[in-house]
Amino acid sequence: MANIHPAGVFDTTYEEDMSIDRTARDKLWKNLAFLALLLAPLVSVSGPLGLGWVSDQYIGLIARIAIFVIAVQGLNILVGYTGQISLGHAAFMAIGAYGSAILARELGFSFWTALPASALLTGLIGLLFGLPSLRVKGFYLAMATLAAQFIIPWALRYPMEDLTGGTRPLNVPAPMIGPFASYADDKLSNDEPLVFEAGDPYFVDVISVSLESVAGGSPVIEVVNPAGDAVPYGDVSMTVYRDAADKVTGLSYIASKAGAYQVSIRAEDGGAFEATVQRSKALSFATSIAMYYIIVPLAVLLMFLARNIIRTRTGRAFISVRDNDLAAELLGINVFTYKLRAFFLSAVYAGIAGCLLAYERNSLSLDAFQLDTSIEMLAMLIIGGAGFPLGAMFGVTFIRLLQEAMIPTLRPWLSDWLPQLLPFVDAVNITSAINPILFGGTLIIFLVLEPRGIAHRWEVFKVAWKLRPYSY
Amino acid sequence: MAEFINKNKRQLTWALYVIAAVLIVLFVGDQLAGKKAARIVQTLISGVLVGGVYGLVALGIVVINKASGVFNFAHGWMMVVGGMIFWSFFTVSQISLLGALLLSTATMLMIMSTVSWRNLREGRNPLLTIGGIIVMTALMTVGGIEWQWLHALTGTFAGAILTGLAVERFAIRPLIGQPLFTAVLMTLAVAEVLHGVTQIAWGTVELNLPIFVDPQTNSRFRPIRLDAFREILDGLAIVRVELVIAFVLAIVAFVGFILFFRYTSVGLAMRATSEDQQLAQSVGLRVRVILAITWAVAAFLASIAGVLQGGAVGLSLNISFVALRVFPAVLLGGLESITGALIGGIIIGIVEQFGTLLNSSEQVGTNLAPYVVLMLVLVIRPDGLFGEKRIERI
Repeated sequence: MANIHPAGVFDTTYEEDMSIDRTARDKLWKNLAFLALLLAPLVSVSGPLGLGWVSDQYIGLIARIAIFVIAVQGLNILVGYTGQISLGHAAFMAIGAYGSAILARELGFSFWTALPASALLTGLIGLLFGLPSLRVKGFYLAMATLAAQFIIPWALRYPMEDLTGGTRPLNVPAPMIGPFASYADDKLSNDEPLVFEAGDPYFVDVISVSLESVAGGSPVIEVVNPAGDAVPYGDVSMTVYRDAADKVTGLSYIASKAGAYQVSIRAEDGGAFEATVQRSKALSFATSIAMYYIIVPLAVLLMFLARNIIRTRTGRAFISVRDNDLAAELLGINVFTYKLRAFFLSAVYAGIAGCLLAYERNSLSLDAFQLDTSIEMLAMLIIGGAGFPLGAMFGVTFIRLLQEAMIPTLRPWLSDWLPQLLPFVDAVNITSAINPILFGGTLIIFLVLEPRGIAHRWEVFKVAWKLRPYSY
Repeated sequence: MAEFINKNKRQLTWALYVIAAVLIVLFVGDQLAGKKAARIVQTLISGVLVGGVYGLVALGIVVINKASGVFNFAHGWMMVVGGMIFWSFFTVSQISLLGALLLSTATMLMIMSTVSWRNLREGRNPLLTIGGIIVMTALMTVGGIEWQWLHALTGTFAGAILTGLAVERFAIRPLIGQPLFTAVLMTLAVAEVLHGVTQIAWGTVELNLPIFVDPQTNSRFRPIRLDAFREILDGLAIVRVELVIAFVLAIVAFVGFILFFRYTSVGLAMRATSEDQQLAQSVGLRVRVILAITWAVAAFLASIAGVLQGGAVGLSLNISFVALRVFPAVLLGGLESITGALIGGIIIGIVEQFGTLLNSSEQVGTNLAPYVVLMLVLVIRPDGLFGEKRIERI
């Protein structure tokens, strides 16, 4: 419908008909938008250019939107294109998030390997919970995914408490490239700690201490700031290596915030040691601006990939399963395997989004992956437009802007006059209640008035714009 | 080999089920072996008692699903709203005239305009509306604290009917002809709105609803001790009286609904509609009105369940989670079966209590066991114990 050309211009080949960029102008607009997205953090308040055109708050907002665009695009593949309802998407995000965090913390994976590994793991678990689609469909399948939404967080909270920290938040190290070649070697002895200035937030110092010889018990290694307090985990991350006899053999330490730090090593019970401290530089993604450059290009890439998957044989099979599964089966499509593929793809997207969420916040808690989040993502999909390539983007942007820009402006105004109008209302409750009311109300309005979502409106608008001033 | 399997598929499947059941029983039995008999009996009894209320919640979901084919995810929040309205009318000594007037006006307007707003223009309908408003307002505001039960019941009735009709009118009716997915999302959206409304009006603090109290001492009932069975049970089994009363009242409400469903003309019309909507329309039933009545009745059932649950365990927003635990009960009993709702509810209640007995620290009973049952039902018998067999290709 949106493929409107000027009169007399027709698509003559299949490639032309299926192309993503319909016209040169489409392509130009897309590239310009992508460029603007990439340039936004550079001109932000805390950006390296120091221009301050964009508030930092919006950079974080765009990054969070991008993460949820990935997750909702996964849901779009499953719900919008294949027609299977899922109420357990947030649980799959939780697997991606906790999977990557545990891989990084316990097995020493870097972000770059933890991301694909946790995405794959999530995909496999998604397959597992897609198995009931062999036997049930429609509403019953929604119930199966609802069960997943409860079983998975329970499993993460209680049986795996040693790994996930249960209800307590779990710290996640920042992504890093490097460390590169070391630039300083220091010998460290018992009584003088090493004091140094850690550099800027992007090129961080990596300290690795190796103990060549130890006599007596293991020495205690501490990283403290000049005031003598232990440095909080968010600012640095430190890994201590031990040998089989549980003796400390060394440590590596990353200072991601600028400032003076000191490394001190104290030998216990009169032992002696010789230590070498190696300092090297690494590229760290601890700041939100640096994370932005991981998240946003990845989101764009994954949106593009999803768009492409829909154009392939698999995507056409998905759509035929959604439109009429009996007819699809008659055409020779193995409905069950394609449903499973959709579950796998959707879970992989959710896993990537969960992993990015974990590394963006540097801290994880199970509260972010409850049933509410699943419902919210479904609502985002419906509001944006299920089964449209841009639906996820529209929906997430709309809901996030509603929540993070509109509600804070409405709140003081509402807390002012609502208690006056209705005497039983307590102003304290308005803050927490306004979010569900506006969210549910928006969803109801969209379901009644525009069940095909913003993306459909956008297509209608584009056609009307192309046909102006004659609307046929 | 393959031929043998194909010939005896049915028997083999049953053999597998039996083996699985034996394994489960062995595992659970082994876990239970360390517990005292008294604890097991006590758990069983409280499981059945808790399950009675669950059955009532499940009934509301089943009634709506039977009539309109919509699975109501907002049922838990309807429970909360009903319970909270009951609390307001029960604990406040002086009900404001304006509030009562507003509530009864809104309710009567929704009732009289069930077919369409145009109904209000016909001659006698406005008179009926005004009469209804006066009667309801009088019932809500008459007398003082000694009439609190009357106030509370009238208020809850009006509030529940209003909620049910409003949800049906503004959310469900516009969706006729839309796919299943839309209806599921709509009930979720309604749940969000009800959540927000409850939070604005009543806050998030747990409220004390003193309905199950000893009239003499005006404090909580003392739990019943099963002393008579002390010798057999090797210990003391204690049963909470609140749960017993809630169970009995839930069963009364259940039976009341079945009587209404079976012996009144409205119930007959509801049954006809749930059988086949087009057929019902062609014999002159107003399907639209009957759907609205169904939602109102289900909302009233939800309110009763909310009040009972609130009286037994305390009234807070957490009551809405009860409905999430009831979904497995609904599927276990069968989506269309009314007896199935009660039996499914009781089974889930027992499973929940035994889960808590086996492992009380990890919330196995409330957060895991019902959903494991749900998965098992979906894999083994998606139609539930008493549901209609669906013939469809997957």
